[in-house]
Amino acid sequence: MKRLFLFIVIIALSFTFFYNQNLLSIAAGVAIFLFGMKSLEEGFRFFVGGLLDKFLKKITDNLYKSILFGTVITTLMQSSGLAAVIAISFISAGLISVAQGVGIILGGNIGTTTGAWLIAGLGLKISIATYALPMLVFGMLFIFQESKRLKGIGYALAGLGFSFLGIAYMKEGFDAFKATIDLTQYSADGFTGIILFAIIGAVMTIVMQSSHASLVLILTALSASQITYENAIALTIGANIGTTITAVLGALGAGMEGKKLAAAHFLINTLTGLLLIGFVPQFIHFIDHTAPFFGIAEQDYTLKLALYHTYFNLFCVLLFAPLVHHLVRLLNYFFQPKITAENAIDDVLFINDAALDFPDTAQATLLKETKHLYNNVYDIIAQGLSVTKEDISSGMEIEDILKRRDQALHVNMDDYYERRIKEIYGKIITFAIVAQGKFSDVTTQQFIPIKNATIDIVEAFKAAKHMQKNMLRYLESDNEYIKNEYNHIRKTLIKHLRTMQMIFNTSEEDVAVLLLSKLQLDAQNYDIAANKSLDNLIRTNKITYTMATSLMNDTSYAYTIASELSKVAHTLFVHATSESTEGREALILNEAEISDLTHASSPRSTS
Amino acid sequence: MSGLKFIQKMQELFGLSPESAESTKKKAVKELVKKLKLRHILLKKELKNETDLIKREALHDSIKIIKKQMKKGKEIVDD
Repeated sequence: MKRLFLFIVIIALSFTFFYNQNLLSIAAGVAIFLFGMKSLEEGFRFFVGGLLDKFLKKITDNLYKSILFGTVITTLMQSSGLAAVIAISFISAGLISVAQGVGIILGGNIGTTTGAWLIAGLGLKISIATYALPMLVFGMLFIFQESKRLKGIGYALAGLGFSFLGIAYMKEGFDAFKATIDLTQYSADGFTGIILFAIIGAVMTIVMQSSHASLVLILTALSASQITYENAIALTIGANIGTTITAVLGALGAGMEGKKLAAAHFLINTLTGLLLIGFVPQFIHFIDHTAPFFGIAEQDYTLKLALYHTYFNLFCVLLFAPLVHHLVRLLNYFFQPKITAENAIDDVLFINDAALDFPDTAQATLLKETKHLYNNVYDIIAQGLSVTKEDISSGMEIEDILKRRDQALHVNMDDYYERRIKEIYGKIITFAIVAQGKFSDVTTQQFIPIKNATIDIVEAFKAAKHMQKNMLRYLESDNEYIKNEYNHIRKTLIKHLRTMQMIFNTSEEDVAVLLLSKLQLDAQNYDIAANKSLDNLIRTNKITYTMATSLMNDTSYAYTIASELSKVAHTLFVHATSESTEGREALILNEAEISDLTHASSPRSTS
Repeated sequence: MSGLKFIQKMQELFGLSPESAESTKKKAVKELVKKLKLRHILLKKELKNETDLIKREALHDSIKIIKKQMKKGKEIVDD
């Protein structure tokens, strides 16, 4: 169906271009302008790695700062669409809240008005094509440079150059058009005309996916007197509604929070549009009164349209800024996350295509999803030890937990793996590999340890699975010695899991650094003590050979669980923020330093 | 002004001027050592009041680790 539509469009355009050269000039202008906007976006993407993350943290901690951020970034990039994509990506990765994202969208609406002023004030009044050509030359020169930043500048410059060239083509096309045909004869008056042109404006923007391109087209047509001022206003209202399609499309691959933001953008712009569509004549009157204050001549309709565009968006922000929190509540009501039933297949919570837009969001998403996987594995390891995760986080003395859970808990670990681990594990690895391929080498280095932590988590699960068989058998054994040994494994791992939870939950860096080293020390101490205890039991014939073999294997599995989980905690702590990972890592003791401590201390008795 | 310089100026303007990786690391370690010193004092006090043998042993281990970490941190900062 899509292909058929594309085929029809190509045939129709070819036919039109064959009969009308001016339309070709206008369409080429739009195409060049859109290409320029894409280049400009590409250029700014080179700068967002790391920098945008810091910027957002500093600037978007309250709603009004978010609005300011949206305004500035849209003014700089001349693309409200990209501001929306940034907001969706950061929300999807959980770096900012929906309310802050709405702030960025509102700011983007203000920022987009600067484009209208630039085009109406400069683009149509001076010959900008003369600036376009050198910009293209210098832009290409920078694009061929090695440095990523220079490349970014090159793309941005070439983007601006192409946009200017596109405007010049559109202007030329409309001016030539004027000599042969008068489009104003198709203008429609009254309320029906406003509705009709608003729909045209919305459709036009949806097709081009750029309100900027629509605005340029409207302004050039207006400056060539090919449309009436009233119809141009209606087209602008339509363009403001149509522009929300960029965010809607961007949110299709995003998570629930991203979808909320796209819905907010659609609601804000559509409601403002529907509200103001009924007051077009009154607004025209208002503009006629206020335009002289800005030095706009009575007949300068392009600047008057830019003023209308500004009023429209300011009205939109003034109307919705105080209502943002109510709007978020409404969206939370309509967009509720699906609750995974205990026996249902668990899926990823954070990974989505939108998170792959920027390196910071990709890293944050990878980290969160790995923690999600860890929580599932933590749950099943606890059950494999015949306790629950609630027991571990309860704060009860471990001895009391073991007394309370003295019966083996039969749980199907293979089934659990299929339902709650396999899918998430596969998606995390795929996401990490795609992200590694997409971003620069420097950023990729951040993804590798997190990906390895995911593998470590699954290794810990596998060790727990292998250990479970004997654990179930010997916890119900009549031989008190072997039962005690398995209870000792349980005790050690419960302590380990508890420390892991403390590391994940603490906000104090020094506590985490201390506990991470302690995890390793405990694992090594356990290994030494368990081996001594095993030797003693064999020597004194307190356990059978079969029991000894099982215990030997399971001691090794317990050590694997402890050491793999220690590595996971280490990685997730070190990479929790992008700032100073080396500083955080430096004081965590390495294996050799821990060995020094282990050998310095006197070995404990475990029997 | 080159593109890179322009970006650096902008970063300075917004308080985002990048420091060298080494000095950032040293700064972070220094801060962490300060916190560890305080934690060391707290743990020592805790040890004085603790009567349970197993808990005393755990506190001993923590103190040993912190001492080693403070020593390591000092070496990094002085380097």
